[in-house]
Amino acid sequence: MSTTVIKLPGTTRPRWERAVPVYGVSVVNPFFIGLIVMALLALVLTTYREIVGLGPVSGMNDMFGWGIWKTFNVVVLTAWGSGAFAVGTAAWVFGRKRLFPLMRMALLTSMLAYACGLCLLGVDVGRPWNFYWVFFPWNWNVHSPMAEVAICMSVYAAIPLFLENIPPVLERLWHFDVRLQPIVEKLEHILHKFFPLIIAAAYLLPAMHQSSLGALMLLAGQRVHPLWQTPFLPLLYVGAAAFMSFGCVAGTTMLCCLVWKRPMDREVLDEAARITAWLIAGWLALRTLDLLFRGALITAFRFNRYAGIFWIETFLIGYGGWLLYRSLKDRQPRTMFLGYTISSIGGMLYRFSPTTLAYMPGPKAMYFPSTIELLIAIGFVSIGIAAFLLMVKLFAILPAPAQEWRDMAHYFKFRKPYISWTRYFNFGFFGDIEPKESD
Amino acid sequence: MAITRRDLITNIAKAGVPVAAVMSMSTMASAGSESTQAESLPVPNAAVGLLYDASLCIGCKACEAACNEANNTPEDISGDRLHEAPVDLNVFTRNIIKLYKPTDGSPSSFVKRQCMQCLDPACAAGCPFQALYKESVTGIVRWDGGKCIGCRYCTISCPFSVPRFQWQGFNPVVTKCELCSHRLAKGLKPGCTSVCPTGAVTFGPRTVLLLEAKRRIKNSPGRYYQDRVYGEKDNGGTQALYLSRVPFAMLGLPEIGPESVPSSSLRWQERVYKYFALPALLYVGLVAVIRKNLKGHEAEALEQEKETGLRAQQ
Repeated sequence: MSTTVIKLPGTTRPRWERAVPVYGVSVVNPFFIGLIVMALLALVLTTYREIVGLGPVSGMNDMFGWGIWKTFNVVVLTAWGSGAFAVGTAAWVFGRKRLFPLMRMALLTSMLAYACGLCLLGVDVGRPWNFYWVFFPWNWNVHSPMAEVAICMSVYAAIPLFLENIPPVLERLWHFDVRLQPIVEKLEHILHKFFPLIIAAAYLLPAMHQSSLGALMLLAGQRVHPLWQTPFLPLLYVGAAAFMSFGCVAGTTMLCCLVWKRPMDREVLDEAARITAWLIAGWLALRTLDLLFRGALITAFRFNRYAGIFWIETFLIGYGGWLLYRSLKDRQPRTMFLGYTISSIGGMLYRFSPTTLAYMPGPKAMYFPSTIELLIAIGFVSIGIAAFLLMVKLFAILPAPAQEWRDMAHYFKFRKPYISWTRYFNFGFFGDIEPKESD
Repeated sequence: MAITRRDLITNIAKAGVPVAAVMSMSTMASAGSESTQAESLPVPNAAVGLLYDASLCIGCKACEAACNEANNTPEDISGDRLHEAPVDLNVFTRNIIKLYKPTDGSPSSFVKRQCMQCLDPACAAGCPFQALYKESVTGIVRWDGGKCIGCRYCTISCPFSVPRFQWQGFNPVVTKCELCSHRLAKGLKPGCTSVCPTGAVTFGPRTVLLLEAKRRIKNSPGRYYQDRVYGEKDNGGTQALYLSRVPFAMLGLPEIGPESVPSSSLRWQERVYKYFALPALLYVGLVAVIRKNLKGHEAEALEQEKETGLRAQQ
C-alpha cells in the first residue's frame, strides 16, 4: 500500500479528493451481527435496570456514586469522539484546510460518540423524567459544572452536531433521484447560509462542556489525588480531548483504509499527525508545569497505585506523541497508527483517572463494574460501531481519490446492475458515465 | 572587643524591632484574612443548626431511632436482621452514631454524623437543576424530588459524604438530614435533639449554638481539641457545629480550611461564565473567522467541481 509508494516528483501519489461510500461490501457480516447481538442484549438489560434500579445491576455504591457509564462512556468516549470539535477547529479556525478530507469522519464519529454517551447517561441517571427542566433556563444552576455538561452536551448533539452531519444525507438524496435535486439544492443553500453560525456553536459548545467535564471533579476537592486535582483540570481535559480526538479521527480513517483497501493520503495524515504531536507536547508541558508549581510532582515518586497510574498514562501519551513525530520522518503508516492508538489509550486513562482510579472517597471504598454494567457499556459502544459501519457504507463519509467515485459508478453499472432498490447509483451525476434515462 | 551590657541591649533591640514588626504584620495580615473569610459568607437570618458535643455523647443511639421515627424511614437491620446497626449513612439512615476507637489506647470518642447544613453547600452548588437548595430563611439544605434527575453529583461533591442515593427501585430518591423541617413547621424540635439524654446534641439558632460552644470551651480550657468549634469557619462555616476531644479528622470531619469547597474550586468557572460575556464574545469572533474561511473554501470546491466533473461536496 502507501508504504511502498516511491516518492518521486511527478508520480501520482494518492490524494483524498472527495468522500466516497464504501461499496461492494455487504453491511451484514459476522462482526456486524455480533455488534447487533451485543446491542440488543444491552437494550434488554437496560429494561431490567429501569425496573430494579441501579444497585442490583451495577457495582456503584454510596462511596462510588459514579460507575463506568458516566466515567467511561461519557467522560472518556465523548472526549475521544470530539473530533468534530478538535479537527474542525484546526481546519476552520486555525486554517489547517488540508484536514478537510477528514471532516466527515470527524463529524460522524463525534455524533455517534455523543449520541451513545448521552443515551447511556439517560440510562445512568436515576430520575430521567425530570430532565424536562432543561427547557426552563431560570431553573438552571448556571455555575454547576453538571448543569453545563447536561445542557451543553445535549444541545450540542441535538442541534449543531446534527446539522453538521446533514450534508452527506442531502448529497445522497441529490444523487437518489433527479426530481429531488431542486429541493435538495434549496435545502443545501439554506444550510450553507447558516453554516458559520452553526459551526461556531459547534466549536464553542464542546469547548465549554469538555472543560466542564473536568470541572466536575473540582468540586470533589481533596478526594481526587493531588496528581490530578488542579484548577487547570478543565483546560487539561479539553487538551486531552483535542489530541485524543485526532487519534480517533485519523486512526479510525487509517484503519478503515486498511480494512477496505483504500489508498491513504500521506499529506493529510502527516498534517494530522504533526498537529497531534504538537498538541501532545503542549499538553504534557502544561501538565508538568502545573504539577511543578503546585508541588504535587513529588507525590509521583512515591511507590503507590496513584504514582503508577500517573507514570503509565504519562508514558503512553508521551510515547504515542513521540511515535507520531517519528512517523513524519520514517513515513511509516504503521508507526503513525501505533502512535494514535497509544496516545489515545493514554488520554483515555487520563480522563478516566480523576473520576475513578484516582478518586479516593474513603479508606474502604471500592468499585468494580458488575457484569451487567459492563455488558450495557459494551452494548452502547456496539450500537455506535454498528451505526458507523452502516453509515460509511450508505453515505459518502470516508475520503478517497476522485477516481474512486468513478470506479464506484462503474462497479454498480456493470457488476451489480440488479441493485435498483437503493437507486443511489441509477440516477444522478457520475461525470462521464451519467445514465441518460429518467424515471 | 568586649561587649558591654549597653551594646548587648541595643543590639537586641535593633534586631528585635524589625522581627517584631514583621511578626505583628503577619499576624495582622492573617487575622485580617480570617475575619474576611468568616464574614464573606452570609448567614441566613434565622439559621438553625445542631451543636454536637462529642465529649458528652454516650453512644446510646436513641437519636438514630428517633430520626427513623421522625422521618418515617424503616430501621436498617441489614447487619444481623435483628438490631438496627447500619455501618454508615445510607438511604434509610440520615443520622448515625459512630465510634472512633484507636488501638493505641488514646481517648476514644463517639461521633454523630448527619448533614452539616453548610453555609455554602457543595451539593447545591453542583446540583444541575437546583433540586438541592438552601432555604433562604432557615438555611436548611433541602431536596426537591421534582427537580432531581438522579445524577448523583451531590454524592461526589459533598466534602462530608452525606447525601445518599437509593440504589433500589425504579423511582430512587436522594436522602439527607433536612433538620426535620416538617417537625420544625409544627413547632417541634428535630427528632435527634428531642431524645438525647445527655444533651450532647442540641438544636437552636446557629448564633446561639456558637456562643454556647464558645462558652463551653471557655469554661473548660484544654478539654476540647484545639479549643475550636468545628463548623464555625470550616468549609466556609456550617450550621451543624462540633466539639470534640479527639482530632476532628479522626471523626471523619476533614480539615478543609475556612474557604468553602465551591468558592475555592469553582472560582474560575464563575469568572469565565460571568454574565455569559466571554463565551458570547468568543462566539461572535468564531462566526467571523469561520465565515471568512468558508467563503474561500466554497470557491475552491466549485473550482474542483469544474475540474473533476464531480459534484462538489461540502
